[in-house]
Amino acid sequence: MKQIALDEPAVVIIGSGAGGGTLAYELTQQGIECVVLEAGPYLKNEDYENDEWKAFNQMAWLDPRTTSGSWRIAKDFPSLPAWIVKAVGGTTTHWSGATPRFKEHEFKALSTYGPVEGASLLDWPITLAEMEPYYERAEMAMGSTHRHGRAALPANNNYKVFANGAERIGYKRYATGPYATNAEPYDGRPASIQDGFNFQGDKSGAKWSIMVREIPRALETGLLDLRPDSHVVRITHDASGKADAVIYADKDGNLHRQAARVVCVAGNSIETARLLLLSESTRFPKGLANGSDQVGRNYMRHLTGSVYARFDKPVRMYRGETMAGLIADESRFDPSRGFVGGFYMETISLGPAFLAAFVEPGAWGPDFAEIMSSYANTAGMWIVGEDMPQSDNRITLSSNVRDQWDLPVANVHFDDHPNDVAMREYGYGKAAELYDAVGALGHHRTPPYPSTHNLGTCRMSERAEDGVCDRNGRTHEVANLFISDGSQMTTGAAANPTLTIVALAMRQADYLAGELKRGNL
Amino acid sequence: MEMTRSAPSGSASSVAVETVADRGYKGIPIGLERGSGSRKLLARMIRVMFPHKGIPDAPYIRAAEAVLALACEKPGRQVAFAAAIQDLMNLDFEAMDDAAALDHLRAMSATDFFTQFQGKALLAFYDDPEVWEHLGYEGPSFDKGGYVNRGFNDLDWLPDPRIEEYDGGEQ
Repeated sequence: MKQIALDEPAVVIIGSGAGGGTLAYELTQQGIECVVLEAGPYLKNEDYENDEWKAFNQMAWLDPRTTSGSWRIAKDFPSLPAWIVKAVGGTTTHWSGATPRFKEHEFKALSTYGPVEGASLLDWPITLAEMEPYYERAEMAMGSTHRHGRAALPANNNYKVFANGAERIGYKRYATGPYATNAEPYDGRPASIQDGFNFQGDKSGAKWSIMVREIPRALETGLLDLRPDSHVVRITHDASGKADAVIYADKDGNLHRQAARVVCVAGNSIETARLLLLSESTRFPKGLANGSDQVGRNYMRHLTGSVYARFDKPVRMYRGETMAGLIADESRFDPSRGFVGGFYMETISLGPAFLAAFVEPGAWGPDFAEIMSSYANTAGMWIVGEDMPQSDNRITLSSNVRDQWDLPVANVHFDDHPNDVAMREYGYGKAAELYDAVGALGHHRTPPYPSTHNLGTCRMSERAEDGVCDRNGRTHEVANLFISDGSQMTTGAAANPTLTIVALAMRQADYLAGELKRGNL
Repeated sequence: MEMTRSAPSGSASSVAVETVADRGYKGIPIGLERGSGSRKLLARMIRVMFPHKGIPDAPYIRAAEAVLALACEKPGRQVAFAAAIQDLMNLDFEAMDDAAALDHLRAMSATDFFTQFQGKALLAFYDDPEVWEHLGYEGPSFDKGGYVNRGFNDLDWLPDPRIEEYDGGEQ
């Protein structure tokens, strides 16, 4: 593997997930060397476990965090605001695979929705038209089904219930994708064996992830210096205010300094914001690139909610591709429903171990046991929609809790916006209606899980005072510092974010490569 | 990391303490030894919390052992659990019928002991392969070739739906 000297000013990418991993792949394809610093270990397909808690303990980001605000997570899972991955490949390791694009109006949230009280809506400084070529490339890279001639996945049991219910209540826009797991062999990877464990890493390799595609190919170029177990603790800058190095702790806690020509931060929205806040200095007293005081603000986590319905016949929802079922009918702008923004409905399944923990946190007793007893006859769906950015929903540094390196942990503050509550209630109602239409005996409304879609916190904005980075993810204040993950999202849209994070990283890679070749960085 | 929930502070089992103070803590099972009956009592508690008629005692006992292991991690927690268990023994909790036992657990459900107990018992009990089997969950599947040839689409009580996207245009 390539070894870049610590004192050689390098292109340094922090994080190896959808954003950072894509960037590393795209840059190395263009002949540009880079260092990738990944806080977690290098887990591979053969290491993944077909077991919910073993997999969780193997790959989840379990460093301490704290929570505040009125969201239920702060009560039920106060130290686990987010369910994301700490390993090479980042959260693409456990992602589901759904790849809808953001819609044109969602890039213009403020213009489309108008001002919403209590929300800090903005239009993105880029448009769908500008993103389309990158969406095409991202769908090719990820192998989205239903796109560019690729086959649809077959209907699994959970989808049969979901799609029949959808049809019966008048929905039309349902399908088994787009979904980035192979229905047929593609790109050197096999077809799905429908094992039902893609939240645990997918041992077969049928599912696209940064770990199975971008990382090995970037390593093959001989231009990538990948350093797992390397947890970045500070970005430093020179007298002119440009980033000049990244300091990281290895797994034994020894510090290393990597000189940097360009720094790209892709640590997922909580850690990206935390790292900038931790990198405060006399010149940047509120945190690096935080003159606008926007770093950490506008944290979004998508609406989310699940409905699990019981039937008098077997469903066996755990068999097959977990989220290969989407309904797009509610993903539209239609304020007559009582809220702005839209949502998707997507199939979901948990095993008994996770279902017991998450279906109704804290519950026990005969009613709870009845939910669990119905496991084999249960169908499930996830509701995922656009939540409102709010200035006070934010990542800050804890004043009293520190991590294993003695650094202040991130506090995640979140209050639901009334628009979020209205959309969730409406979504629960439509889900119940759908399942009733195919004969449900009963259903349970499950509150949001610890957040898997963590967005905002370093948002793109036209004007420097409204956000942290510009239309290329370049921070307004530090010319060679880039935001390369979902943190840069101006608003969250309704769709699962991974496709858009990959497309944004591809676009940023083109921009970065151009700037590097022109000698501007 | 444990997925424990936050808990209100307070006495480990103030509800029970008030009713059985006269019998005291002389025999408090501080070691939470196997022979002390703690395991059996906790297994009964777990069955009242998570009642599944067809599931035999073994998984309930294993979940009780997981709770005892959690309790014994720290001396403060160990003594609190021992006191709470003694209270339940003094009350003849195991002799209560299902309805009375349920009522008793509800009355103590805000205590720190109960919250910790519930969290650990739930995680252990529903992570037990014998429980999975009873619920109709098949566990790891990759080594068996997934479900592609083993019924991922065997639901036959509804028609086969369309899998392609709708071709009637955007809304």
